Amino acid sequence: MILQHLNDFYYRLLEYRNPDTGLAPVPPHGFSEENISYCLVLSKDGDLLNIQDIRESNEHKIRPKRLNVPQSFKRPGTAPRPFYLWDKTSYVLGVERSKNRRASSDALWEISLKNHKAFVDLHLEWLKNQSSAELIAVRQFLLAWNPDRFSQHPFSLEHLDSNLVFRVEGHSTYVHESIAARELWLSLLTASLSEKSRLQRTRTTCLITGDKSHLSRLHPAIKGVYGGQSSGGSLVSFNAEAYESLGKTQGENAPVSERAAFAYTTALNYLLRREKGHCLLIAGTSTVFWAKADNIATEIMAIEVFSSILNPATHTLPSGSSLRTLVAKLAQGERLEDIIPELDPDIRFFILGLAPNSSRISVRYWFDGNFREVGEHLSEHWFDMQIAPLPWATTDPPSIWRFLIETAPAKKSENICPKLTGEWLRSILTGSRYPRQLLTHIIQRLRSDGDINGLRAALIKSVLARDYRKGFTNEVIPMSLDIMNSPVAYRLGCLFAVLEQAQRKARGYAKLGITNRYYSTAAAVPYSIFPRLIAAFQNCLLKVYTSNRGHAIYLEQQMISIMSGLPNSLPKHLTIEQQGQFAVGYYHQKQSFVTERTDQLEHGSDQTYQSNGTAQ
Amino acid sequence: MSYGVSLHIWGEYACFTRPEMKVERLSYEVITPSAARGILEAIHWKPAIRWCVDRIHVLKPIKFESIRRNEIGSKVSTIGAISAMRSQSTLGLHIVSDDVRQQRAATVLKDVAYIIEAHFELTNKANPDDNAGKHLDQFRRRARKGQCFHQPCMGTREFTAHFALIEHTDQWPTSELSDTDRDRTLGWMLHDIDFSNKNMPHFFRAELRNGVMNVPDFRTLFVIP
Repeated sequence: MILQHLNDFYYRLLEYRNPDTGLAPVPPHGFSEENISYCLVLSKDGDLLNIQDIRESNEHKIRPKRLNVPQSFKRPGTAPRPFYLWDKTSYVLGVERSKNRRASSDALWEISLKNHKAFVDLHLEWLKNQSSAELIAVRQFLLAWNPDRFSQHPFSLEHLDSNLVFRVEGHSTYVHESIAARELWLSLLTASLSEKSRLQRTRTTCLITGDKSHLSRLHPAIKGVYGGQSSGGSLVSFNAEAYESLGKTQGENAPVSERAAFAYTTALNYLLRREKGHCLLIAGTSTVFWAKADNIATEIMAIEVFSSILNPATHTLPSGSSLRTLVAKLAQGERLEDIIPELDPDIRFFILGLAPNSSRISVRYWFDGNFREVGEHLSEHWFDMQIAPLPWATTDPPSIWRFLIETAPAKKSENICPKLTGEWLRSILTGSRYPRQLLTHIIQRLRSDGDINGLRAALIKSVLARDYRKGFTNEVIPMSLDIMNSPVAYRLGCLFAVLEQAQRKARGYAKLGITNRYYSTAAAVPYSIFPRLIAAFQNCLLKVYTSNRGHAIYLEQQMISIMSGLPNSLPKHLTIEQQGQFAVGYYHQKQSFVTERTDQLEHGSDQTYQSNGTAQ
Repeated sequence: MSYGVSLHIWGEYACFTRPEMKVERLSYEVITPSAARGILEAIHWKPAIRWCVDRIHVLKPIKFESIRRNEIGSKVSTIGAISAMRSQSTLGLHIVSDDVRQQRAATVLKDVAYIIEAHFELTNKANPDDNAGKHLDQFRRRARKGQCFHQPCMGTREFTAHFALIEHTDQWPTSELSDTDRDRTLGWMLHDIDFSNKNMPHFFRAELRNGVMNVPDFRTLFVIP
């Protein structure tokens, strides 16, 4: 279904006209968008006049210009296959950067004869008998050109290995954009396709469109997936023996027609371009999303809304209202169609998460549903996450990446488990159970670094709350501190926080307090450790009594009320879910002490959480 | 149809791989007719009969899950195997898995249950004493007892399919699909592969109507419009 929806999206894009440029955002069949840096300006007789820099500079960065050029294709292996009327310097001029420079006296560039000869031969063949002035000029240039001339003016080293196009003096458009060149290219394309079709002898059904036509052996490359190769990867590829079946090779394993292959890859390449607003990088997975509505304007708006919901930052809705309150409203149960009435809830949404795997691209998750579903599930997600006191400002919730970082060892991005990202996002969007991995990873983090902060508590609580809501467990975990109706493990967590508080009051903020030394043991095997801690608590309590009588009495009362609900013998060990309950109880109880105090300097890090709003 | 059978199948996981997503496997949403045929053939098949799947009922909501597995990237060649058989020695016939290790992700279906309605036809390899009734009885007997030639699987062998015959008098298992899930277009789905003609795959437009997918006859797909 993925490829079919991408194919549909391509044709919808092709119909759309950008209000600024009047052009469609995607190139038509037979053309692709490439990065071109320089343009060779020729005279009518083919003499080289100048090499023009056509790069664009914005925000102090110089970027190559993106032009629609005759379609590029994959060039595997060493046999040269030149492009039509554009290519890199190695083909067009016959020079490239030296690969094996041993001494600094060696030349910086060398001649690439094979590639250049292939380019010249092919163009002389294509362009013979052409009467257009521009094509004649290019032909003359190629006949006269000698790669050694690169050492002279107007060439310089920065031109090496960049992409070049041609333009003839007196014409305002590039040679490949002229009518004659386009017609010639399209006829060459149809000729080669029908040649392939003749060779294949049979026409197979395309599995995207259902048309019977010749199939595409290698699909065009998909560039722009974060972490992938610069030459692009393939979504559909059969690049090792083990992936082929029934004796078929390469594209025969999945018959897709040339047109459909072109359509879906162009659409995906378009979506992956960050600046178009369709792609978000969520913890190492390039997530693209698009919508299908009656008109493109609605689609664009739906995309913007979705993008800000998924990664809340300083986005503003088109209607002017700030999106910061959107998530808060969703969590309180307001429906998406009420918050944003302009959006039809039946708009169809597609979300595709891609990640590179050597030269292939693997699908991390695929979501296909309507906007109403997405809204409902997002609202459920934020509702499950609610924990009091809220570790983040209601109008500024953290991004998905910020949550995932809490599950990673040493809080490093590269240590985030990639499968967890996909599964968690899938459960957020589809409303299914959260992955258990989420819970286990966080519990592991708590045991190793002892940092029970608000985000971790919220994540744990969300997993337990959703399990309860779906009926997988009978033990309810409260949103805010509630000792009365809570399971044993929760109370033990509260108790641990009380004990810690007493020690802190008695001895001041000790570096190796009971939290560091005993948290993981207390959470896992309470039976063995709590009696000792409670005994120590009595000593601490005595000390606190002398300095701050009121607080000591408060602590003792808390302890009694917690312990009154505990069974006579403490559990010998706690399951992972119960360890989660322990953590939440600890967080609730600890925060209740913090909010009472007037000086919060030492607890500033875990009281309110500041999101920095930027997604990874 | 008197030669029709109804089989209830279910499994914990299923992977009906899309042909284009073979490497990083992505499953179709619903069992393909070819996989359904495979399950029927695992229970009972002789060259005299050919199974044709008529309808597939989807009983449980469609849920995906993603898993990553370490696999290898090469195959042992047929020529190598043949020469090993001839020379009576397996020397040199091996793959060193550490050299060709590949990690592949797979997005599979979780917790699936279907009812397959199918019938069979006699082929030209049927003997004069073969009749449809005989094969039908055999199938029913085997399905009742749980007998099979090899364990049926949900697309790939590692995902086992459990099966139970639905007799005429039995009540059919109820569908757990919600109302919104009952009607869905599934796009072009692989119907089956024509093994007699260069292993050509054939596709059909699949749709779920009220939780049921109608499967056209395989031969109707050959006709070029």
